[in-house]
Amino acid sequence: MVRSLAPFFAFAAAYLAAALFVTNSYYQLIMTLVLVWACFGLSWNMLSGYTGLVSFGHAAFFGLGAFATVLAQVYWGVSPWIMLAVSALLGALAGVLIGLPTFRLRGHYFALSMLAYPLAMLYVFQWLGYPEVTVPRVFDRPWLYMQFDDGRVYTVIALAMLAAVVAISRRVERTRFGMALIAIKQNEAAAEAAGIDTFAWKLRAIALSGAIAGAVGSFYAVVILVITPQSVFGMLVSAQALTVTMFGGTGTVWGPIIGAAFLIPIAEVLHAELGSYLPGIQGVVYGLAIIGLIVLAPEGMYWKARDFLRARRSAEAPAAEAAAAAPPASPAAARTISDEVVLDVRNVSKRFGGLKAVGRVSFQVRRGMILGIIGPNGAGKTTLFNLLNGFLAPDTGEVVFRGENLVGQKPNRVCRAGIGRTFQIMRPFKRMSVHDNVKVGAYVRAASEAEAEALATHAVAAVGLDAIAQRPAGGLTTKELRLLELARALAGQPELLLLDETLAGLGSQEAAEVVGVIRRLAGEGVTVVIIEHTMQAMVQLVDRFLVLDHGEVIMEGAPQAVTRDSRVIEAYLGKKWVANA
Amino acid sequence: MTLPKRLLLAGTALAAAGLAAAPAAAQSKPEPIQIGLIAPVSGIYARPGTVMRMGAEMGVEDVNKAGGIACLGNAPLELAVVDSGDSVEKATNAAQRMVADYPKLVGATGAYLSSFTLAVSEVTERANLPLLTLSYSDLITGRGFKNIFQTSATSGAQAEIALPIILDLAEKQTGKRPQTVAVITDNTAASLSSVKRMKDGLLADVGLKLVSEEVFTPPLTDATSLVQQIRRGRPDLLFFLPTVISDSKLILEKMQEFRLRVPTVSFGIAIAEPEVLNTVDPKLLEGVMSAVANWGAKGQEELIQRLKDRYGEPWMTQNAISTYGDMWVFKAALEKSCSRDRAALGKALRSLDGGEAKFYPGGTIAFDEAGHRKGASLTIIQWQNGVPVTVFPEALALSQAKWPTP
Repeated sequence: MVRSLAPFFAFAAAYLAAALFVTNSYYQLIMTLVLVWACFGLSWNMLSGYTGLVSFGHAAFFGLGAFATVLAQVYWGVSPWIMLAVSALLGALAGVLIGLPTFRLRGHYFALSMLAYPLAMLYVFQWLGYPEVTVPRVFDRPWLYMQFDDGRVYTVIALAMLAAVVAISRRVERTRFGMALIAIKQNEAAAEAAGIDTFAWKLRAIALSGAIAGAVGSFYAVVILVITPQSVFGMLVSAQALTVTMFGGTGTVWGPIIGAAFLIPIAEVLHAELGSYLPGIQGVVYGLAIIGLIVLAPEGMYWKARDFLRARRSAEAPAAEAAAAAPPASPAAARTISDEVVLDVRNVSKRFGGLKAVGRVSFQVRRGMILGIIGPNGAGKTTLFNLLNGFLAPDTGEVVFRGENLVGQKPNRVCRAGIGRTFQIMRPFKRMSVHDNVKVGAYVRAASEAEAEALATHAVAAVGLDAIAQRPAGGLTTKELRLLELARALAGQPELLLLDETLAGLGSQEAAEVVGVIRRLAGEGVTVVIIEHTMQAMVQLVDRFLVLDHGEVIMEGAPQAVTRDSRVIEAYLGKKWVANA
Repeated sequence: MTLPKRLLLAGTALAAAGLAAAPAAAQSKPEPIQIGLIAPVSGIYARPGTVMRMGAEMGVEDVNKAGGIACLGNAPLELAVVDSGDSVEKATNAAQRMVADYPKLVGATGAYLSSFTLAVSEVTERANLPLLTLSYSDLITGRGFKNIFQTSATSGAQAEIALPIILDLAEKQTGKRPQTVAVITDNTAASLSSVKRMKDGLLADVGLKLVSEEVFTPPLTDATSLVQQIRRGRPDLLFFLPTVISDSKLILEKMQEFRLRVPTVSFGIAIAEPEVLNTVDPKLLEGVMSAVANWGAKGQEELIQRLKDRYGEPWMTQNAISTYGDMWVFKAALEKSCSRDRAALGKALRSLDGGEAKFYPGGTIAFDEAGHRKGASLTIIQWQNGVPVTVFPEALALSQAKWPTP
C-alpha cells in the first residue's frame, strides 16, 4: 500500500514545491483547480473507469456539494470545513438514490439517463431562485471558514484531498471491491456467475464516487467564490470529469491526474493569452488537442506510455516467455462416480413468447461425473445453462442443488451455493494478469485478501497456467483464455462446474490438452457439466451424454450408445443419414 | 548573504532604478495610472461590452486632455481591458486574472451584467481593488462590501421611481389609469431585483394588479408559450425585462405574430441597443418605453456627436455614458487620494464629494456607506421615429413622452 503510493508522494512533493514559488494569484488558482479536477476525474473513474458504466452526470454530485456548502454558509453560517464532510455524505446519498433506479439500465441507456440528473437539478436550482450564489466573506477568523488570503493554502488543501482520494482509489483497486468492479467491466454476466453481487457493488461504487464528487464540489465552491447552476450542474462539468480521465487514461489513478495536469493549464493559458485577441479560439484549440490525442492514444496517455515502455522493455529481452506452459499432460486419474445426486433438474421449461426454448427437461448429475450436453445449434443448450445458474428463471420446474431448490436465486447466489460457470464468449480483463483475472473468481469463497491470493494461485496451477500467471491476459491464445476462464470458475471452489463450449475454436491438439485438464479436475472431485456441439472430443471426455434437440431431451446415456442412436444422428445430420449409420 | 554583498546588490538595484528613471525624468512623463475595464467583449454580451470600452476610451482621453491627475504630476490614465466573457464563471475567472496580471491597477469599472458584477466584485473586494459599476442589481451593494461603488440607482429604486411616472403619463394622455400588468423577465440578477421590488409591495402601492409573471433563462429559443401566457392574462400594461437582445427580438416578434398589442414598458437597455436595429424592424419598437439607469441626454450633445463620428454609433447608451463618467469619478478620487495606492483610492471614493453629477441622472458624485451613489435617479427612454430618446427627467429630456396607444 505505502509502496504503491510512493510515486504519488513524489509527485505531490514536486507539485507542492512548484506551487510555493507561484506568486501570481491567477496561476496559483489554476494550480488548485488542476488538483480539484484531478479529484473529480478520480471520482468519475471510481464508477465509470472501473465498472465501464459511463456516467455523463457526475455534475449532479459535484453541484449538490457546491450548492450545499454555499447555501449552508449563507443561511446557517455553517463552515465549509464541516460542509466538506456533509457534502460527501450528500453525494453518497445521491449516488444511492440515483443508482437504485439507474442501474437497471445498461450501456448507452445508462449513460444517457445519468445525463438527465444534473440537468434536472440545474433547472431545480434556477427555479428555487439561485441563479447565482456567492460565498459570504468572513472577516473574523476567516480560516474557520476556509478563507485564506494566500492562495497557496488552497493548493495545499487540494493536494491533501487528492492524496486522500488516491489512497482510497488504490485501496479499492487492490481489494475485492476493485476486483468486483473490474469484473463487472469485463463482463457483468460473468461477474454475476463468479459470485459477485454486481448490483450491490455498483451501488457501493456510485456511493463512494458520489461522496468524492460531493466533497470536491464543496471545495470548488469555496475556491471559486461564485457558483451558478450552470457552473456546477452544467454539461461542461460532467464532461470535464470524462475529458481529464479519458485523456489521462481510464481505470488507473494516474489517468485523471495526468489529464488534469495537462488539460487544465492548457485551457486556462489559452483562455488568458488568446482569449482576448480571438474570443473563443481557446475552445477550438482545446477541442483539436483532445481530438488529436484521442486519435493517437484512444485509451489515454497513461496506457499509451505504459504500452510503449513495455514494448521497449520486451524488445530488449525477446522471447523471454516464448515457451508458454503446456498444461501438464498427466494421465487422467481413475475416477469414482458416487451415487450421491448433486444436481437434480426436474421438468424445467422456458418459453420466449411463442418459442419453446427448453421443454420439460429432467436429468440428474451425480458427484464426480462429467456430463456432456450436446445438440445442434439452437437446441437450447445455453438456455438450459442460464436456467441452471439463475440468469433466467424457468417457467416451470425445479433446479435442486444438494437438496436446495435454486429457482429464483440470482446468479451470484447460485455461485455462492457452489455452482461455477464459464462462458462461450471469453472476455478477460486484458490489462490484468492471468493471476488477477483468476483472483476475481476467488472472492466468492475467500474471507481475506490472502485467502483469495492462495485460491487464485491454486486455481492457476490446477489448469497449468502457472508459468504465465503474471502475463497480461490481453496476449493469450484461445486455448490459454479457455483455461483462464476455467481457472476463474475453479477459484471459487465450486462443487459443480458448468462449462459452456469450452472446446469451441480449438484445434484437435489444443482440445485434447483442455480435455486433459478437465479430466484431471474431475479426478480431483469436481463435478462437471459441459455443453458442446462437436461430438468428437466429447466422446473422450464425458461419462454420460444428454442430447437436446428443439429444447427437449431426446436421449440420455453412455457415449457409445448415444453416438449410435438414430435419433441423435437424425438431429445432427438429417433423416437420410440414419439409414447409412 | 553577507552584509557587503547585500549592500552591493542594493547599490546595483539603485543604480538600475536610476538608469531606468533617468530617461523618463528627461521626458518628464510620469508613469500612467492604470484603470481596469472588465466587461464582456466576447460572446453574447460582446456588443454592450464594446460600447463600454468606447465610453472608457473617450473618458480616458478627455481626462488626459484636461491634464491627467494634477496631484500626481499630471500622470495620465491608462486603460487595461479585460474580457469578462459571457458567463458568470468566465467573469469570475477574468477577475482573478485581472487582479493577478495587473498588479498596478488602482481601480476598475465593470462588468456590464449585474450577475457578472456580483461575481467580479467578490474577487476585487478580496483584492481591495475599488470597482465602479453601472450594474444595478440591489444585491451588488447589499453585501457590506467596502470597495464597490454603484453609479446607477438600484433596480428596486429604479422601479420605485419609474412606476408612478409611467402610470401618470398613461392617465394624462389616455384618461385611463392602467389597472393590470403582466411581467416577462429573464432570470439575470438585475431583472430579478426589479421584479422582486415590484412584487414586494410596489405594484400594490401604485394600484397595479399582477396578472401573469413569466421568468425565462437567456438565451431564449422560442417565445410562443411566454406570449400566449400574456395574451391569456389580457393586461393593460406589459413590463418587459430582457437582458439579451435576441431575447427581446424573439418576444417582440412573437407578440406581433400573435397580434398582441399591449403598451410595453421595458426595464434595462436590451431593447434600445443599436444592435437591435440589425434584427428588429423599428416599427415594431415604435413607442416602446424603457426605464434605464442612464442614457445620453440633454447637455451631452457634443459627446454624443463625437461617439457617432468616431465609432459610428447611432446613439449613446448607458454603457457608453456611464463608463465615460466613471473615468471622471476616478479622476476626482485620484486627485483627492493623491496616490497610486488602491486602498487610498477606495478611501477617497468612500469620502468623495464631487458635486452635482454631470454624467449620471440625478444626485451627486458621492457614495454612501454601502456604495450607492447619493441621490441616483434614472432616465426613461422611448423609441420615437426609429431612435430611443430620453423623455424623462424633463431636465434631461431630448423629446416629449407619448403614451404608446396600440
